[in-house]
This record gives sequence, C-alpha cells and structure tokens, in this order.
Amino acid sequence: MSSAPTTRWAPAYGTNGFTEHTLTAALDVMAHAGYRAIGLTLGTRHFDPFGADWRERAEALAADLRRRGFRIAVETGSPYLLDAFEPFAPSFAAADATARTALIERAIDIAAIVGAECVSTWSGALPQNVTEDQAWQRLADRLRPLAARAAEAGVRLAIEPEPGMIVDTVAKALRWRELAGSPGNLGITIDIGHAIAVGEPGGAPGAIRAAGDLLFNVHVDDMPEGRHEHLPLGEGDLDLAATFAALDEAGFAGIAAVELPRHAGEAPMRARQSLRILEGLGACAHDPWTADARLRISADPECVEELFADATRAVGRGEPAARARVALMTALADHAAGAEAVRDLYRRGDADERLAVLAGLSVLAPVHGPAWRDAGLEIVTDALRTNDPRVVGAAMGEFARHHLDDAAWRQGVLKLVFMEAPLGQVAGLAERRDDELAAMAERFAAERTAAGRTVPDDLALIRAKETAR
Amino acid sequence: MTDMRIFDPHIHMSSRTTNDYEAMYDAGVRALVEPAFWLGQPRTSAASFTDYFDSLVGWERFRASQFGIRHHCTIALNPKEANDPRCREVMTELPRYLRKDGVVAIGETGYDSMTPEEDEVLAQHLALSLEFQLPVMVHTPHRDKENGTRRTLDVVRESGVPAGALLVDHLNEMTVDMVRETGAWMGFSIYPDTKMDEGRMVAILQRIGLDRVLVNSAADWGRSDPLKTLKTGRAMLEAGFTADDVDRVLWRNPVEFYGQSGRLNLEPVDGFDAAAPPAETFSGNSILRGAPAARGA
Repeated sequence: MSSAPTTRWAPAYGTNGFTEHTLTAALDVMAHAGYRAIGLTLGTRHFDPFGADWRERAEALAADLRRRGFRIAVETGSPYLLDAFEPFAPSFAAADATARTALIERAIDIAAIVGAECVSTWSGALPQNVTEDQAWQRLADRLRPLAARAAEAGVRLAIEPEPGMIVDTVAKALRWRELAGSPGNLGITIDIGHAIAVGEPGGAPGAIRAAGDLLFNVHVDDMPEGRHEHLPLGEGDLDLAATFAALDEAGFAGIAAVELPRHAGEAPMRARQSLRILEGLGACAHDPWTADARLRISADPECVEELFADATRAVGRGEPAARARVALMTALADHAAGAEAVRDLYRRGDADERLAVLAGLSVLAPVHGPAWRDAGLEIVTDALRTNDPRVVGAAMGEFARHHLDDAAWRQGVLKLVFMEAPLGQVAGLAERRDDELAAMAERFAAERTAAGRTVPDDLALIRAKETAR
Repeated sequence: MTDMRIFDPHIHMSSRTTNDYEAMYDAGVRALVEPAFWLGQPRTSAASFTDYFDSLVGWERFRASQFGIRHHCTIALNPKEANDPRCREVMTELPRYLRKDGVVAIGETGYDSMTPEEDEVLAQHLALSLEFQLPVMVHTPHRDKENGTRRTLDVVRESGVPAGALLVDHLNEMTVDMVRETGAWMGFSIYPDTKMDEGRMVAILQRIGLDRVLVNSAADWGRSDPLKTLKTGRAMLEAGFTADDVDRVLWRNPVEFYGQSGRLNLEPVDGFDAAAPPAETFSGNSILRGAPAARGA
C-alpha cells in the first residue's frame, strides 16, 4: 500500500536573506520553519571562505547539516566579498580574475567537504574596453580548469544567468558551457525571477525547459517583469503555478532556495511564508499525503495522532515516514495546543513514532515557549530512561543541547557510551562537553579497564581534559 | 543453523529470554507475531494494559530486532480479563493501537469461560476488525473447547468478518474440521506434552492437507518450547513432506494470513545475513550499523 519514495526538489532558503542572523541561528529558524535544505552564500557574514580555519568550519558545518538532515547548495554571489567598492567585481572576464577563480576554487573545496549538491557562479559584467569576443574567450578559458577541478572533487558547478551580466539568459549560459568544453559536471542555476526580468523566451517555464537535464539548481523569488527586484512569492509578475509545473516536468530533484536578500529584517516570517507557498506548488518537498496532512493538522491539531500512525502506510516505512512525521510535528509548532499534542504523540507512540517525535523536537528546539520546553523536557527525560540506544541517541539532539541541564545532559552522553552507540549523534558535543564529563569518562574507562574490557573508541571524544566551557 | 525459514505466528516473547531469541534465530525464525494475552498475574487496571501494549509496539520489537527477528503483534483484551470491569476500560484505548505499524491483527480474543462479558467484548473486537480492516486471531477455550469453538464460529459469521480474515487457534483433532468447513484459517499450538504435539500435528496435516494451516509454539511463561515450530518442520520432513511443504506451513501460510494487514515487515534486519552473524554485529564497537562513523565536530 505504501507508495514508492520519489525524489523531489527540496525547498530551501538562501543565507543571503538571513544577514541579521548567525549561520547557526539561520539554520535553527529554517529547520523550525520546516526547511531541510539551505542555500549557503559564501561571505564574511556566515561562512568566510578565506578565513584560516575554513576547513575545520566546513567539517563542523557538514556535521551540523548531517545531524539536521539538511541538503546544501553553495552560492558565490556575495557582492562585496572580493571588492569593497564595486559590487560583483571582479568579473570572470576582467583582465585579472584571479580573485574570482580563487573564490570558486575554494567554494569547490568547501562544497566537497559539506556535501553540497552544486556550486553556483555567474559570469560578471562585461568590463570596459573588452570586446564581447574577448570576454567569451576569457569566460571559457577560466571556467574550463574550474570545472575540471570540481569534477576531480566530485562537485557540480552551475552557471547562473544574472541580469546585467555577460551571461544573462539560459541560452548564453549554455553557450558558455559549450565553449568550456561541455563537461558533464557543469550545469545551470536558474533564478526564476531573473527569467522574467530579462525576458527569457517562454518566461520562467521556458528557461527551465531550455536548461532541461542541465538544470542543477534553482533560486526562488518573485519579480516584476523587466526589472531586477527580488520580491516575496506572489508579489511580482511570475506565473508560479506554471513555473513549478515546469520544474516537475523537467524532473528537477535539486535544491530550490528562496533568494530574498532585501528582506533579512523579517527573515523568519519570510521563511515561513515562502515555505507555505512552496508547499502548495507542484510536487514540492512534501508528498501530497504529507502536504494534505499538514493542512488538516493546522485546522485541527487533534487529528495529528492518527496521521502520525498512518504515515508508514501512506508514504513508506523508514526514512520517508520519519521525514513525513517530522513535517507533521512542525505543522503543530505555531499552534496553542501543539505542545500538548506532541506530548501525547510521544506517550502513545511506538518506537518509530517516538524517534520521530524526538527528531521533531530537535527541529523545534529554538522554540522557547514554556509549554514547548516543558513538554520537550518531559519527553526527552523519558527517552533518556529507556534502554533503546536509538531512542537515547535521538534524545540527545538539538533539544537536549538547548534545554537539558548539565547533570542530565552528561548522564545522557555517558549512557550512549555505555550503550556503545556513536557520540556523533549528540548535538553540540564539542561545545557542551566539560571537565566533569571528562572526569566521568575517565572513571568509566578505568572501570572498563579494571574489568579487562575494551574502552569504546568514542570515549576519546569526551575524555580530553583541557576542554573548556 | 537450519535452512528452514520460520514465521512463528503465535509466541509471547515478552516472557522469553534472549537465549530463546538466539536459539530461534539459529533455528531459522526470522519473523513472529506476539499476540496480546494475559500475564499469568491478573491485571487490575487499563493503564496496566496500555503499558503492556506499548512494550509490544516498542521495546519488544526492538529486542527482537537485536537478534535478527522481525516482531509483530496483535492487540486485544484477552477473554480471561474481559470478565474484569476494571480491565474492560481498555477497550476504548484499542483503536489507537490498531493504527500502529507493527500491529497485524486483533487478538487474542474469543472465549475463556463463555460469559456474557466475553460475548460482548468479542463482538466489539469483531467490529474493530471491520473498521480497521485487520484480521482477527481467536483463541479457543481450553475447557469445553468444542462448544467454545462452535460458538466462536457462529458469532464471527454473524459479525460479517469474512472467514478468510479469521484465524482460530489452539485447535486439535476434535475442533479442526468445524473450522475448516467455514474457510477460516486453522492454528495449532504445539506444546511440550499437552494439548497438541508434533506427531499429532503431522497426522492432521496428512489428513487435511496444508491449506490455511498455521503451526505455532505459543511459547509463554508456562512450560513451553519456542522451537516447536522447527521440530514440527522436522517431523513433517521425516513423515515424507517436502521442504516446500514445510516452507508453506511454517512461512508462506502465516505470511499470507497476517499479510492481509498490509503491515508485515519481512526484510532481513540490517546486519543479519550470512556474512554478518549476530555475534559479530553486536561485538561492542561504537559504530551503529548503517550510521556514519562518529566524527569529532
């Protein structure tokens, strides 16, 4: 009875619309809103690609994304990253574009570490005193080695047509690709708003069809026809229904990230609002059953219990059901009766349902309403009393990191070690471990050694005595 | 190790040890159904039942999976405790369990002492079967079995639950034919020295054939043997049945009956295949099977 899981595109929000938030805070808000993917713009605000410790930060981000179950696309469009005075400089076609190519190289390395689905780049503007032919030659010569480097790293590159730049349409992006030798890992990023700003033939659906299989990545926004102005969905001239129908027709399964750089001051609201609109469009992140179930829950939170149990039969056992259940939980987030409903979901859930509740709590961790905190603490505390390592592991996620007191949190970590479950699932382990936990780990190791038993490898992650709070 | 694959359609694992799980895996048991029943010690409240049901859909499933066995259960208020008004309150809690993934039937229901209360609760269970489209597993009484079985069949017929969705369990030579005539499934519990044994089971199979026959150990906290399924399979082979016949009775028949729920999970448990015997998979390394290696962030 379960339908086969299908690969769908993932709605995401771009960090360039979250410039008033730290990266972690932005991820918290996005996760809470229900996103499971992010468009990360490299830049000084969220991820400085040229900072000395870029590699360590990329590894930490990879771990964070894994824990949250997030997909990621890497964007390189930060306007003043390489030139403090002139936005988007230097162009790929500038006489000296080494800063630009160095950025793309670093973006490729970062993408490889964080498991990004692609790295987007644009061409830049036509420099003064450069002919079009010269510019195209430079574009081709500079992109070819980058694509090769990306291929070696297992990374996909995507050209984004950008209004006002040399490459401003899909047709020109395809030309650039061809001039660069048509490498298999080089594709297209389409900003659906740009399509009507520059007057793509057939509008955004036409641009999507023109890119076809080469469509690696999508940026989502609305726009007035003929003007480059990023607007919230529904506030411009875009035919959203036709655009998303074209995406489904094209079989697009990548990341579609909302790009609202001018709305950072109201980012959380825009993120929630955008996702609600996206969820109503085409075959979005949620399968039809989940999308419908979320609507029913918004109207009547009490129906969540039945829907929670039905998820396995509706969308398939394992990962699909787990994803759907978290989506059902987040539909309760803004509801006055939500926390109480979640308490019941856990109390009355089977093992898989309880795991989903714990995963959902991690997603909702930034919610600081006392009702949610109390319900979450009750649930997590109960979960930590169980003897099922999956449940204990899930209980040590983002919620425990934010809300569990030190003594209970340390006991949870040590219990996982005791159960020989991996500590990689403990959210914020590196940040929250302390001297007391290290001392507990030492005593545990001593006890094991005295008994002639092996000491679990993961104990090393908390034994280090020099840890600081 | 044997090469039989065994689905024990009736065994109360909550009452058994991990040694039993290991022996069952070695015997070829890869899936089972644990019907909700009484605990020997009478319960005195509905909450005591819900804790028990929670363990059937939670802890016991996990425990079985650690030994490579897929655990399913049936949910009901057993006939013995249906007579206690304090326990009957649990009837209103049943619907929410009947939606759970691992719940593959309603049961054990039926008669113990054939009281009006048992009548009423059986009727409620049959109505739930129709509502949730789940098969029903009916226990036949240990005393006055013939009358109890006949009355069970009459009540089920009147309820509208199709015979194909009914399993009548704990049958013997005296009760098998009346069940067979209705088209219902026939369950036989093989015990160490009472009720039914392997030899008599083989004789029944020789007489009535393999259609709609399920063999179980019904092992619980009493004197019982969780390997009676295997032993019946061996007795069948010795009596001239083929390996395919044995597979039909010990695997395909229970899969067909409980498969009507649409909720059986018969995929091998991760990490349990010929290449990775259980002893090695749980040898205390820190990597959860199927999960990425832990990394310091």
